[in-house]
Amino acid sequence: MTELLPMLTTGATLAQIGDVFMHEVTLFHYLFVSAAMFALGVIGFLSRRNIIIMFLCTEMMFQGAGLAMIAFGRYHMNLTGDVFVIFILTIAAAESALALALVVLLYRRRETLDASAWAELRG
Amino acid sequence: MSLVANPFVLYLGIALGAIGVVVAMPRRGLSPQVIGALVAAAGLGLALLSMGIKAGENAPSLYFYVFALIALGASLRVITHPRPVYAALYFILTILASAGLYLILAAEFLAFALIIIYAGAILITYLFVIMLATESPSAEEPEAQGAYDRYSREPIASAVAGFALLAAIVGLIATGLGTAPPERRPMDTSSLIERMPRKVERSLVEAGLPANIRVERVLDDMTAQVAFPRGYEGDALIFPRPVEAGQTVNVPLPEGFTIDNIELVGWQLVGGHPLGLELAGIILLMALLGAVVLSRKQIQIDDDRKIEAAATMRGGAA
Repeated sequence: MTELLPMLTTGATLAQIGDVFMHEVTLFHYLFVSAAMFALGVIGFLSRRNIIIMFLCTEMMFQGAGLAMIAFGRYHMNLTGDVFVIFILTIAAAESALALALVVLLYRRRETLDASAWAELRG
Repeated sequence: MSLVANPFVLYLGIALGAIGVVVAMPRRGLSPQVIGALVAAAGLGLALLSMGIKAGENAPSLYFYVFALIALGASLRVITHPRPVYAALYFILTILASAGLYLILAAEFLAFALIIIYAGAILITYLFVIMLATESPSAEEPEAQGAYDRYSREPIASAVAGFALLAAIVGLIATGLGTAPPERRPMDTSSLIERMPRKVERSLVEAGLPANIRVERVLDDMTAQVAFPRGYEGDALIFPRPVEAGQTVNVPLPEGFTIDNIELVGWQLVGGHPLGLELAGIILLMALLGAVVLSRKQIQIDDDRKIEAAATMRGGAA
């Protein structure tokens, strides 16, 4: 991995750095960061009460998953992980459009962003 | 084979991180965010240390640590900051640091796509909605905020749940990944080069061959079969040999001819997942329509107005 960065700065691409294999330990570092980002997203979703922040935390979970996919793609030397991250970006854009429209709708009804204002939806 | 020096150091780091997050969470009374952030950073450092000792020379570069620290620190601020606008801005910082991590992982196209789509488009929409849906602070109490932003709900329980999930994932990977190393080989791009004759043609012309050449076929990732319709005097360094008009010869590819990351991703996306691409388009269209339908203002019309409107419409048609 240490020889990877000089290659990157000189404009080498994945095709050229294909000979530099990523070690499992290096992969594990990236997976730890992605899992930590996912966990922080979960905590934020569970503990924050602002609807917008809750949706922001789901986006953070998307980020964690995407980082894991890119790292695995680099480790296995194929680009399926990259393509899946493109799809994740698409889904995240669609989800945020719908979610924010819902937030605007909910805010118009109750004049608050508090998620517990809708607690009766629990049934 | 385990990937960490001592799993208990890793778990200790994760537990410290959980304590730091709980301390930093906004709640009634004191919420010392600096102390919480420091404790969480210590936990992260402990966890990284337990991985780094085992890594030795395979440890990732310094830039990894920098970007990881920025990404996780900004993520912590996203979930602990009481003001939604600042939380969204810190999320942009998380995105930028993730893009840096993507760059280290040689995913250049996605790094910039991430910045453009997430930081540029999605987060701006979030900021707009935050500004639309937040009461403007009154003149006498500019710091007034809803209680739902100032106090979090069950910070201890949610931190325990989140970090138990983290410990389970990390523990499973640390002990389970090493058992079956996959067979790996360098990425083979020669078949892709064979399918891009126009790109080869362009690079050959740039290297000094006449502009009217035509690449008939790319034999492997070293040579190409090139037709010279007008002949060639052999004045370029890459192929110092005259060719008569109409002849087809094998020409070596220029030095440093490679396929870019964006071309690889493009082939993989369009060639490997065409159905997914179509479905993504449909999903985006549906989201667009759904957002329009959802955010349209609902107007209640009573029966008299409906009859009146119907009458005017009928009159207009006749």
